[in-house]
Amino acid sequence: MNQPADHLIPAHHSPVRSALQGVREAIPLLGGYVPVALSFGLVATQAGFTTWEAVAISALIYAGASQFLFVGMIAAGAPLWLVVTMTLLINIRHVVYGPNLAALLPRSRHWPWLMHGLTDQVFALALTRLPQLPEVKRFGWFLGASLFAWGAWIIGTAVGATAGEAVTARWPLLGEVMPFALPALFLTMVAPRFTDKRWALAMLTTIIAALMLTLYGLSNVAIPLAAALGALCFYSIRFTTRSRAL
Amino acid sequence: MSSALWIAVFASAFGTLLIRVVPFLWMQRRLNSAAGLNAMPQWLTVLGPLMIAAVLGVSIMPVNPGPASWLATVAGLLATLLVWRRVHSLGWPVAAGVAIFGVVVLACGVILPG
Repeated sequence: MNQPADHLIPAHHSPVRSALQGVREAIPLLGGYVPVALSFGLVATQAGFTTWEAVAISALIYAGASQFLFVGMIAAGAPLWLVVTMTLLINIRHVVYGPNLAALLPRSRHWPWLMHGLTDQVFALALTRLPQLPEVKRFGWFLGASLFAWGAWIIGTAVGATAGEAVTARWPLLGEVMPFALPALFLTMVAPRFTDKRWALAMLTTIIAALMLTLYGLSNVAIPLAAALGALCFYSIRFTTRSRAL
Repeated sequence: MSSALWIAVFASAFGTLLIRVVPFLWMQRRLNSAAGLNAMPQWLTVLGPLMIAAVLGVSIMPVNPGPASWLATVAGLLATLLVWRRVHSLGWPVAAGVAIFGVVVLACGVILPG
């Protein structure tokens, strides 16, 4: 996928081709998206929402963890102001995603609605792939990747809401094996940083901290907390390079 | 769904969109100012890759934690890493990782049923 040829500006650039490349490269995200979207559709209908309402929540809010919290709190009878506040608090980690991509993407009047597709996974994929693409291809690539992921999330929710129980009963391994596509994908994204000792230590600290926080049931705060810990490690530890005598 | 509930959905959706879009547009405006790329704070360029590492840490947790799924996770991650070292791309390492993960889960299911 990330061949050196990507850096060259194509002679016959086509926005459709760039978008299709984005779609193709976002396919591994489905492994994580589809089972979670199926589960959300199922959980939402069990909590009393109709299929259309579950689909509307997925299409409009489009943020996995906060959607589960949203329907869970509504089902538990929590006040609506608290439901909205908690949903936004969980999504607050997204504030650092946009600025990281700002230098990689061209100016466009479409960003106010296209940024709706900036999830954890799309951000990770975009931050890794955009620097490897020529500038003319980046808008189309982001459009293709983000719309494809959004569509998969909505369709997954609809299927989960209408036939979630039947699907999980027929293919029980679907929900267990497919989500592994996400850690595998993210591993290929962080692996290039492990050539540098300082980055390697910060990355390792972040990964272990995030895993530990998740193991202790703190998955909602795991991403920002673990990243902050990794940044602390990055800034506080410096390796000195020894100069070799010839 | 009552109209109050729809308002809660729209408020959550609009708030989430603002969280995603406002910092992006703010940074694009800063980058187009006289300061250019120097306007990008260094901590932000460090935090970006670390956020991906954090997402990796969160996603490592198996759906059904247990000895078999942890073993499959380790095997799957190793397979992903080995294939990545060979091809340096995204697609094949992910396919290999998922395949090995699935094989180990199935094998453990056969050896240790229930």
